[in-house]
Amino acid sequence: MKITSKLLLTGLVPAVFLIYLTACAATKPDIDKLVSEGNEIRIYEIFGMDCPGCHGGLENLVNKVPGVISSEANWEKQLLRVVLYANVEVDDNLIYEAIKRANFTPGERFK
Amino acid sequence: MLVFITLFVASTIMAGFVSAAGISIDAGLTPAENRWIFRSQMRFMQRNNDPTPALREMKSYMLPVVVAYGIRSDLAIMIRQALRRNEIKMQGQSSSSTGLIDILVLAKYRLVRLNTPGYTLGISPTLGLEIPSGADNFSSNSWDLHLGTFVSGRSRSWGIDLNVTYVWNGMAKTSSADGDAGDEFSIESALAYQFGLGQNANFALAPVIEFSYLSISSDSKDGITITNTGESVLLLSPGIKVTLSSIILESLLQFPLWQNQLGQQTERAPSFLIGIRIMN
Repeated sequence: MKITSKLLLTGLVPAVFLIYLTACAATKPDIDKLVSEGNEIRIYEIFGMDCPGCHGGLENLVNKVPGVISSEANWEKQLLRVVLYANVEVDDNLIYEAIKRANFTPGERFK
Repeated sequence: MLVFITLFVASTIMAGFVSAAGISIDAGLTPAENRWIFRSQMRFMQRNNDPTPALREMKSYMLPVVVAYGIRSDLAIMIRQALRRNEIKMQGQSSSSTGLIDILVLAKYRLVRLNTPGYTLGISPTLGLEIPSGADNFSSNSWDLHLGTFVSGRSRSWGIDLNVTYVWNGMAKTSSADGDAGDEFSIESALAYQFGLGQNANFALAPVIEFSYLSISSDSKDGITITNTGESVLLLSPGIKVTLSSIILESLLQFPLWQNQLGQQTERAPSFLIGIRIMN
């Protein structure tokens, strides 16, 4: 492979990732608005988060649980707010499993 | 004479190839499952104080790009590629070269992850393979094995890290004409204090101080040690890390506190890096 092709690949692949990841980061719903619309909210205690960079990986996995609309983590308070559709039963164990797959440990459910 | 000059120049270039990675915070913690992390840095390194009459000086710029992915919660894979530019001065003559270095594929396994209300502890061994894919003069021309163990401890504000790595250069050579680059051993420790800022704690600022010890064995050819290769360095690196929910910005200055080059080699001068990490 010519050096120019290698250089192009080195620049292009990261650029595509950069755009993809920035787009993922930019599309976060307003969680307070979702709560005010009558959806169910649950609050979980989470251990293992140590910086704001931990939020995304956890929220991504919890948001994939069927019935979850959105979630919001707070590393300083060690809390995760989860908004769920009001008329859908969601087993807590599915959310605990998602928390563990993010490398964190669930504590108490406060609400 | 030609062989001597070739080895002389090669030792100058290869000595600049190896540097402490810098910003080792959180290395012991594996990312969440299905998480993508894109990391890039701009590094500037230089060597000078040549003890020989050649008065060699080297400036080196490196742009490494790392893409990491959490395959499972306990296993992450990373691929690193880097573009490098070397500018060399010798006896008043200048030359420069630019090229890609060897690709590194690395797996990190979560051996221990302890999450408690007061602290977090992570221990992750790594296994990596450096593939001889780089450009001429920028490739080791050998498959090199990277072994490491990363330990990270966190309280809410304090962070402490200890990373130990060993690089077995020349595990399998692609050409018998090449010599064996010396193996590399490094210990990196880091201490950080994090201030949480912003609404919903979505912004954090952390001053970081790192101590790195790096030891590179002499190169050899056909079992005979090549003179003027191999060194040991102790680096002190103050830095800063800014963390947002999806982006981490980092910057580090590296000062050699102590260094011992074998034979007649240039010395390391202070270096600098600035980096970005973007996560989904």
